[in-house]
This record gives sequence, C-alpha cells and structure tokens, in this order.
Amino acid sequence: MPKPVTQDLRVIIGGGGEMGVRTAELLSDRGHDVVIVESDPDRCNELSEKYVATIIEGDASRPEKLRQAQPERSDVVAALTDDETTNFAICMAAQRMSDARTVMRINETPDELYEEFVDGLVFPERLGARAATNEIEVSGVRTIEDIGGNVEVVEVEVADDAPVAGKRLDEVRLPRGSLIIVDYHGNRLGGPDTLLEAGHRYVLAVESNVADEVMNLFRG
Amino acid sequence: MSHSGGREPSVSLSLLDATMVGIGAMIGAGIFVLTGLAVDISGPAALVAFALNGGVTTFTALSYAELASAIPRNGGGYAYVREVFSAPVAFVMGWTRWFTYMIAGSLYALGFASNFLEWGHIYGITLPGQPVLYALGAVVALVALNGLSTEASGRGETVITIVKIAILAVFVVFGLTATRVNEFDPLFTKGPLSLLPAMGLTFIAFQGYDLIATVTEEVENPQVNIPRAILLSVLVTVVVYLFVVFVAIGTLGAEELAGAGETAIAQAAEGFMPSFPIIGTGASLIAFGAVFSTISALNAVVIGSSRVAFAMGRERQLPARLGRFHHRYGTPLVAIMASAVVMLIAVVVVPIRIVGNLASLFSLLGFIIVNYALIRLRRRQPDLQRPFEVPFYPVTPILGIVCNALLGLFIDPFTWILAIGWLLFGGVVYLALSRRGDIGPSGPPEIQEPEPIQTTDTDD
Repeated sequence: MPKPVTQDLRVIIGGGGEMGVRTAELLSDRGHDVVIVESDPDRCNELSEKYVATIIEGDASRPEKLRQAQPERSDVVAALTDDETTNFAICMAAQRMSDARTVMRINETPDELYEEFVDGLVFPERLGARAATNEIEVSGVRTIEDIGGNVEVVEVEVADDAPVAGKRLDEVRLPRGSLIIVDYHGNRLGGPDTLLEAGHRYVLAVESNVADEVMNLFRG
Repeated sequence: MSHSGGREPSVSLSLLDATMVGIGAMIGAGIFVLTGLAVDISGPAALVAFALNGGVTTFTALSYAELASAIPRNGGGYAYVREVFSAPVAFVMGWTRWFTYMIAGSLYALGFASNFLEWGHIYGITLPGQPVLYALGAVVALVALNGLSTEASGRGETVITIVKIAILAVFVVFGLTATRVNEFDPLFTKGPLSLLPAMGLTFIAFQGYDLIATVTEEVENPQVNIPRAILLSVLVTVVVYLFVVFVAIGTLGAEELAGAGETAIAQAAEGFMPSFPIIGTGASLIAFGAVFSTISALNAVVIGSSRVAFAMGRERQLPARLGRFHHRYGTPLVAIMASAVVMLIAVVVVPIRIVGNLASLFSLLGFIIVNYALIRLRRRQPDLQRPFEVPFYPVTPILGIVCNALLGLFIDPFTWILAIGWLLFGGVVYLALSRRGDIGPSGPPEIQEPEPIQTTDTDD
C-alpha cells in the first residue's frame, strides 16, 4: 500500500539523465527531498554541482546501491533511466525493500500488465508527441496538461470573429465546467473584469464534455 | 527557502555573504556576555579555554562541512540528522537544537539588557527598572518583527557583521597598546582543571555556524562554498575571540573582568579607549557594539529557533501547524510564537550562568550526534557523493565526539538535571503526539519482510 502523502516527500530518482535531473529540480523547488542514483561518475559530479539532490553513485537496479538511497524511508521511487528493463528492475527491488510508491518511465507502448506492478507510468514519447503537436499547430489551441480524469488545461487564442472577442468576462457565459485561469502573459488571473481580446491567449481549465462549447466561444 | 515558493534566482549569496551569516551568529553576543563569566571560572586561562574550544569546534565544523556538501537540505544540523537516523533520534536532535537556540536567545536578551543599562551609565543616565524587563522587551520586539514580516536578507546581515567586527577591531587595536602581559602570569590562577567548566560555559559562543547550512539554497555554487564558509567562519571567529579576550584580560586584569560579568568587555574598554567626537568615550562605542551585537544575535536565534521548529513541523515530528506559514503574514508564525514562549520563560526564571551552561550542554549533545551521523552515513552510504570530505577520517569525527562528551561531563550537575528534565519533557511530548496521531506517518510504516528470492536449488 502506498503511504499517505505527507507534506514533504522524500523521493528517490533512479537515473540522473536529463529527465531525472529536471524532475529533481521541479521537486526540489516544491520543497521535497530528492535522492538521485546515477551510475556514471562524471555525470555524478555534474549533478552534485547543481546541488538539488543527494547523489549516490551506482546502478540503481543493483539492490545494494538502491538500498543506500534508503527506499524504506522514502515516499516515492521513480525509475527514470532510458532503459525500460532497468526501470522495471528498480521498481521491483524498491517494492521488496519498502512500501514506497513506484513510478516507472517507459519507452514503448505500455505493456497492459504494468499497472499491476507499478503505481505510475511515465511515457515521455507520448508527452513529446503532444509538445510536437502544439508546436506544429502554432495558432489556436494547445494542451498544457491532462489533469487525469476528464479535465484538461488548455491554452486558447481568441479568434478575431469569435463570440467572446472583445467582451469582458462578466458579459459572457462560459459553460459550467470551464474556468479561465490566466491570460497568456501570465500577469492576471481570470476575474469578472478580464477582457477577452482577439489575438490574445488564455489558459483555461475545461471538462471534456464542455470542451467543444468552449472552443466554439473562443475560436468561433 | 524552497518552502517559500520556489528558488529566487536574484537572491544569490557569495562566499563572503555566507561566511558572514556564520560569523554574525558567532561573533556577537557570546564574546560580550560570556568573557567575564569565563574569566571568573578559570582566571587568565580563559584565553586558553577559548582557544581549545575553537579547536574542539573545528572537528564538528568539518563534519558539518562534509554533510552540507553532500546533502542539499534546508534546516541545518537537524536536516542532516533526520536524513541519517530514525525518527526518535532526529526528534532528540531537533528538540535539543530548538532548545539551544531558544536558550541562546534568552542569554542574548539578558546580555543585551545588561549592556544597554551599562551604555546608559556611560552617558550618566540611570535607566529605571530591572534588566529583566529590558530583556523581555527585546524578545517581544524581535518576535513581533520576525512574526509579522519575512526576515531580512543575507546581505543586510553582511553589513551588520562587518560593523560588529569593525567595532571589535577598534577595541583590539587600541587595547593592544595598553595590554600588560604580566596579567597572564600566573596563567592558571584557579588550576588547570578549571579550564573544562570554562570551556563548557563558553562553548555556545561557537555554535552559530550551522546557520550557514540553513541558507544553503541561496548560496552560489553551494556544494563548494558552504563547506568553505563553515570552516572560514569558525577560523575568523576563533581569531577574533582570542584577540578580544587577550586584550580584555591584559588591560582590565582577570579579577576586575570577572567582577564585571556580562558587561566585561565594555568595562575593559573604559580603561584605555580614547574619546571620539559625537560618540563620546571609546567605552561607549564598545558598549554600543555590545548592544548592537546582542540584538543582532538575538534576531539570528529567533529566526534559527523558528526554522528548527518549522522543519520539525514539516517532517511531522512536531504538530504540522508549526510547519505552516501564516496565511496573512507569510511567516512561520506558530513556530516563532512557540519559541518565544520558552525564551520569555527562560529570561525570567533561569540565571544567566545556568542559561549559558544549558545552551552549551545542548550544543555539545547536538554536535556529538552530528559527528556520529557523519560516521554512520559513511558506513551506510559509501557511494554517496561527497564533494568535501573530512580529512583523517575516522579520527576527526571520533575526536569530535570524545571532546564534546568530555566538555559535557564538566558542566555542573544542576544543568544536567535541567537538561534531562527538558529531554524527558520532550519524550512525553513525543509519545503524546504520536499516540494522538499528530505526528509521524499514520501508523508505523509497514515494511515487508523480504521474501526469499527463488533461486535454482544448488544446496540440495
């Protein structure tokens, strides 16, 4: 059973590549304690200079190295190396040693049975595809994040002839299940006096069943 | 701090700034408040006591430097111990660190009060009321200041610390011309063994460097600069202390210095300082330095103590409320208030010498745990990246443990009784809180017994 989430997490990251480090930085910024296990000595020196996590030099899929990171005291073990088999081994070893939540990075279409073995899957290629789609379809709508469930955070540009163009937020009726979070420049949170200007981008949270309606209002 | 909502790239402290954070906490109250009391115990040999304390502290400072370079955590010594030991040991460490800061706070508040009244005396003003009232006032004022707004930046601390060092430098430069070396002959007027209690009493003066570890995330190139800042600040502090104590004993003489108690340095200055324009006598400059230093040190420990309580709250070792920011003021208000209550009680109830001894004893206990944490971490995590390594391992940390323990043993029994009382109280609090489910994960973590791994049967 995963532990209840406490205020600050202790997280072990297997693999100190780009993904492992970026994850560590984000976690550290949010106040969590991170331990990275990385096998390449040169890479370890680089990571140590960043000073965002405790670094253990060694192959995380070797139990003797993983144990040094103290999984039994940790809330989450995230195996983020670029090798799927290694990641699976790390998660399995971590589960034997502890009751930490396990998160595993995969590189191919997920094996259906993974969910029985690990608590969370990360599929960078799928995330990458979304980013690529956003870049290709430059104008209009881009997905920022799936919040699981059926809520999506999207960034939408108000089209010139859209119904809401040039209106204040208290003059328009957005469907229930949608919320303007912030304008694209990131200066203001949405409020009754937010002006929806054509050509500007806004970040919205939308439930999937009203996404169509919202797109209609913003894109025309 | 990362808890306050992300790294601020603009806030980056240089090696100098980080070093000054440590020096600022160490040079200040201790030198003004404790010199007279130490001389009272061991005579002119108090100078030796300060020197030896510097040596003892260096062992632990090296351990701190290694831990700080390897474990990027806010929270200082408590955070490192939390990383290495089980929850109850970390609780003891946090509980004693917290108490050390609070007790040091009351020591500085009392030192402030005495020196403030002395400052008035120099100008011929006799201020009304008991010193205790001024001490209480200082605590209340600083707690209010820290509770209602976020703390001043490290750069402000740098300026304040340089002013402190400058005032002491003036004291030393003028004093050296007036120093009579024969004051140190005989050196051991109270016997060589009197060194140990004097060392125990003054040890607290050298414990401020762990504040450097609490600002790690704002320091440039931290994994190199933090160990350096820790060692540099200890070195500079020891040198400054030795000069100041040398001059104080050499000019005023051990007898009179002992009689002056917590205003000893200011009184020594009266003997040889020339007059300055505006400020008046040189002695008033030193008295001002003492007032200024005790206040800034008090401010440092108010922040330090609330940070420890805050860290313990975040780790669920004390009620979570201590680990939260106040919704309106954006400060760890509950942690600050909790610390303030103990400081106020200590100011009123405990005599200054006991206060000094208690703070030193808890410092020593904490430092023993830190040295042991280093040894344990080396054993359990041999592949941990350690950009700075303690030289002559394991001799250095073992010497640290032995010396700290030895000094602790020479602190008087009454202080030990108070200390044990506080630890027992901590034990009761810990048990009560964990029984109520206020702290710790809900229920002990269930760790599965490792199942025997199926291998091909080679035994049969």
